[in-house]
Amino acid sequence: MAHNNAEAIQKRTAPSIKSLSGPILIFLLAVFFYVLSGRLDENPIEGQLGAFFWPKAILILLMLSCAFKVLESFKGIGKGVADTGLEEQAPEVNTGKLILMIVVLLAAVVCMETIGFSLCNFIFLLVFMRIAGLKKKTHLLLISLLGTVLLLYLFVKVVYLPLPKGQWFFSDFTIFLYRVLHII
Amino acid sequence: MLDQLALLGTGLVNIFDPLNFSMILVGLTIGVLAGALPGITMLNAIVLVLPFTYLMGIVPSLLLMTSVYCGGVFGGSITGILFNIPGDPMNVPTTWEGYQLNKKGFVSKALGMAIMCSAIGGFLSALIMTVASPPFAKVALSFSSFEYFAVVFLGLASVVVIGTRSIGSALISLFIGLFLGTIGMDDIYGVPRFTFGSRIMETGINFTTVLIGLFAIGEVLDQLSRKNKEGVIDHFRPKTTLPRLSEIWALRNTMLRGLGIGTVIGAIPGTGATVSSFVSYGVEKQVSKHPEKFGTGVWEGLAASETSINASTGGAMIPLLTLGIPGSGATAVMMGAFLLHGIQPGPLLFNKSPEAVYTIFVGMLVCNLIMILAGLITAKFFSELMRVPENILSAFIISFCLLGAFALRNDMTDVWFMVIFGIVGYFMRRYDLPSPPMILGLILGPLAEKYFLTSMIGCGNDWTVFFCRPVSGSLMVISIGLLIMPFLRNLGKKGKKGSVTA
Repeated sequence: MAHNNAEAIQKRTAPSIKSLSGPILIFLLAVFFYVLSGRLDENPIEGQLGAFFWPKAILILLMLSCAFKVLESFKGIGKGVADTGLEEQAPEVNTGKLILMIVVLLAAVVCMETIGFSLCNFIFLLVFMRIAGLKKKTHLLLISLLGTVLLLYLFVKVVYLPLPKGQWFFSDFTIFLYRVLHII
Repeated sequence: MLDQLALLGTGLVNIFDPLNFSMILVGLTIGVLAGALPGITMLNAIVLVLPFTYLMGIVPSLLLMTSVYCGGVFGGSITGILFNIPGDPMNVPTTWEGYQLNKKGFVSKALGMAIMCSAIGGFLSALIMTVASPPFAKVALSFSSFEYFAVVFLGLASVVVIGTRSIGSALISLFIGLFLGTIGMDDIYGVPRFTFGSRIMETGINFTTVLIGLFAIGEVLDQLSRKNKEGVIDHFRPKTTLPRLSEIWALRNTMLRGLGIGTVIGAIPGTGATVSSFVSYGVEKQVSKHPEKFGTGVWEGLAASETSINASTGGAMIPLLTLGIPGSGATAVMMGAFLLHGIQPGPLLFNKSPEAVYTIFVGMLVCNLIMILAGLITAKFFSELMRVPENILSAFIISFCLLGAFALRNDMTDVWFMVIFGIVGYFMRRYDLPSPPMILGLILGPLAEKYFLTSMIGCGNDWTVFFCRPVSGSLMVISIGLLIMPFLRNLGKKGKKGSVTA
């Protein structure tokens, strides 16, 4: 019990480099943007605050907040607004899966304009569901296919959303698909 | 008074005309569905139904639009509570408490409570609108940029109460949000800021993309990347359970505060449901006996936010009907419908078309009652989705988010922003940086800047003016009180601890 308390106190009083790196990084970014604001703020109208007054004020407050956060980490001030005392145990993360999901997500956005929404969404659903743990191939194929058709009906036919059709022959493919599905 | 009652009676008869009544039903369904789908806002839905009103008279047209409006402001709460995806920015505070209640196993009751609070807030504010429109409008119109700034500042001050673990983290998140709100073309001086020469950046960062990204994408990545689960959660179908009268009665003070804040802020042009929901939540947390529990699934937080959101609909109609001034995007479109039918809203409207006005009044009252049914049906439909395994549901949530972000301006830039903020949102969760203050800053920042700079231009950069006017001064004092209260409370706690250990 005493050992746990000692650990808890140590946890409160000795902030890790990891916990300080965030505020310090944000502080440096704020300084960068503050300097940039100073350079961009040319010829403000006399007697008026100008377009860069507000962002500069915000950036100063952001820097002060970062300093406050660092202080908070050391002293424990400001903590406990809704604090129960100790930090919650962060859940373990499957880093490989996380990276894979982020890569697939970014790839979907990159490809959407090139291959068109319909094909891109079909592939995205297929791959993402597989990464998320769905294993049956028939389920994967059927859900991705039917899901994409449903979304196309809802957003192109009903809401008239001009979704990306893709470039080169992908554009022809999308139009062909729309015709087959009686969307256009 | 008798005349008013007679007109209300006529309005009641008009409401049950088959066309008028069906417009309420159709409008509510469209509104709740549109509000619930991320990326499709209540305003989008009102704009979409506008062309259909060409074919109708003014009464069914306005009933259709007010129903979409009332349903739309509520709809976003359903997906917020079920999936942590607020349909609209105004539903963010509901999501904070509602989703936590869902996690605790109270999803059915949370949905039911949200429906009832919305209906009660909307009904009572429509009642206030019916009896007190003209004097209310006069007070709201006496507000200038000083008072507007003070109202928005009050909303921003609530950040210290929504900051969960640490005030420092909450403030960092808030100021990042405020800074993001400055990116793009400056409204007052017409100067591009932090655009790095990009034309696309000149339009700024749309807060809906940030909202969808931080909440939906961040949540999906967070849930699926956890090691202790294999991508599938319990298959269950929550049934929406309406709260008992005793449970509603227990929250009466919370709802009354939400009603007051929603109606007053809704009546102030340019503020609306989003500001009122944040302010109401913040005030509720401050007056609560257990503020430390807010953010972990507290009924008062959910009730305060939901009541004020729908209460703001009645408030927003007051300046439109009595003075012809639309206070929000939704009421501006409704004003368009009035003008399309050759009617000028304003004081003369009560003399020229009293029947139409009172039919709208009664329509809003009835609409909020029927919303309970519409809410139950829509919540049931969305609840069905909870049975879908998480690995399938998550993929579709992301697809909907991609579509929702694209639908905002038919532009891939918004999709990029949404995905980037989704990834940022995930890391914010991991590193304990709360995302709600960032959203708050991004939404309220541009408003705060506009009112602040307008005030400064008007008074020769004398910032003390905010404290010299009665309304703005009072609001500023309340805001400062909100800001310092957690520190004082903390000091008090430390003092108590010190005396106990001594």
